[in-house]
Amino acid sequence: MKRVLLWLWLAAGAAPARAGLPAEEGDCLGCHGSDPDMSMDLPSGEKLGIYVDLNVFAKSVHGEILRCNDCHTEKNGYPHESKPFANRRDLTVAYYEGCKGCHFANYTKTLDGVHYAQMSKGNRKAALCVDCHGSHDIQRPDEPRTRISLTCAKCHPKVFSVYTASVHGKALAEGNPDVPVCTDCHRAHDILDPSGGALAVRTPEICGRCHTNAKMMARYGLSTKVVSTYLRDFHGMSASLKRGEKGADRRNFAAVCTDCHGVHDIQGSKDPNSHTIQANLVQTCRKCHPDATANFPQAWLSHYEPSPQKAGLVWMLQTFYKILIPFMVGGLVLQIALHLWRVVVNR
Amino acid sequence: MSTFVVRFSVRQRVEHAITMVVFTVLCLTGLPQKFYGAAWAHHLIELFGGIDATRWIHRFCGWVLAITTFVHFSSALWAIAEKKIRLSMIPTRKDFDDAVDTLRYYLGLRDQAPRYDRFDYKQKFEYWGLVVGNVIMVLTGVILIYPAVVTRLLPGEFVPAAKVAHSNEGLMAFLVITIWHIYNAHLNPDVFPFDPTIFTGKISRERMAHEHPLELERLEGGAEPVEGAVGEHAERDMG
Repeated sequence: MKRVLLWLWLAAGAAPARAGLPAEEGDCLGCHGSDPDMSMDLPSGEKLGIYVDLNVFAKSVHGEILRCNDCHTEKNGYPHESKPFANRRDLTVAYYEGCKGCHFANYTKTLDGVHYAQMSKGNRKAALCVDCHGSHDIQRPDEPRTRISLTCAKCHPKVFSVYTASVHGKALAEGNPDVPVCTDCHRAHDILDPSGGALAVRTPEICGRCHTNAKMMARYGLSTKVVSTYLRDFHGMSASLKRGEKGADRRNFAAVCTDCHGVHDIQGSKDPNSHTIQANLVQTCRKCHPDATANFPQAWLSHYEPSPQKAGLVWMLQTFYKILIPFMVGGLVLQIALHLWRVVVNR
Repeated sequence: MSTFVVRFSVRQRVEHAITMVVFTVLCLTGLPQKFYGAAWAHHLIELFGGIDATRWIHRFCGWVLAITTFVHFSSALWAIAEKKIRLSMIPTRKDFDDAVDTLRYYLGLRDQAPRYDRFDYKQKFEYWGLVVGNVIMVLTGVILIYPAVVTRLLPGEFVPAAKVAHSNEGLMAFLVITIWHIYNAHLNPDVFPFDPTIFTGKISRERMAHEHPLELERLEGGAEPVEGAVGEHAERDMG
């Protein structure tokens, strides 16, 4: 009876617009916050828990900001006319639009993402807002940072286990904030479908964001010239040119970072499991160059800039032409100038 | 009086025409690969139908250049062996002296330009530059097409070395041709706007007297020591 009176009071418009938690405690949570086993049966046979722990919601990022029917917009009366959801997933999908009102930018990004593309193809398992962020218990997704990869791992456990064994994953487990988590490469809301190679062709920039950062690389004694040396080589040059082409088959590119170093299983170049350690290099080259032999990997200068010590022959030729070309062109231009001068004088 | 001398045989003219076309296409398809970061390079490659098509055209022209260079060289060696031609393209001591004297003349230290024979030192320089350049480009180009095959026999470092040589030698050839050859064949006040000799094969007697006086003297003096030499290279035709 008390509850009915309360609703009448609310319906009369006497409720403050943003009353915060105490009011929630009173109205919705009056029912939904009392019995942890409170649930309803769905036609699919699933049970849908409809209990909300006040303490959990209060500590969530929305705890101080949102009221129940900011999200549950249709439930503005009692008894509420619940939509007959066939199963739990239908309910989640139906609430997808709910976040849009406040988080329009990120919602819009998801429309370009691979999860949305999967969903619109009919894959109902594809992740929606609440699958990653949670619902009543939403916390900042990157606190702590390790949480991000654990979130993805819920649906992508195989990739996650490969990642945790990689040089980046191991460092993350040790609390290293420098290494990339899933979203650093894949992004969070507008996740590219990596299967078409569209992500791979971006790896020189994606990897380069950290691997050209002098301060960060100095901490690990790594070179920052990995991108520039790659771009100057045949692979980098070909990939750069191909990337600009319309309708280029992105799976048929010259090698990008991940083709040699691996994707989720990247190891330090001195790790015996590294794809790029000397002992494994021919195998790695053979992925694209099946007829490669023992000498072949030396054709790639391992991200070194030619110098008298490293790739002396290449350095010598570079230096030779650096001198010869200006000398040759300068000499010819000078001779032309002298000839013209003679012609003018003779006239 | 319209007197002219036939300076180039039909075969030489055809060789030049092929080289001209192939060289141009090689530059157009090769330089954008060297300057892959520039916007014009992307436009040019798009024009050729993408990088794969561009490479295919480049390699095709490269093979044409390789074959013409080989045919040119082997037939020249054959002709030399049979003593059918004079060694008019071989650089001599006189060419070195001519170069020095020409510069002295340009600088006003000499009243007259040196008297040149069939090919002056500039032409020989350009010829040998092209020939040596072709050999370098073909050899390094083959390494770049077949890196896996080449590294069965040679150290891997030869591949990036070949890339440096191919890319720089190509740029140098482009610069030498655009600056030097375009000047000498087009912009030079003596021939401006266009020297048609390599296409028609004909050169006027006046120009012969001016540019190749020693050869003209030999032709007109009739004191030709080697039999057939005139027939192969040049014949006099009074019209």
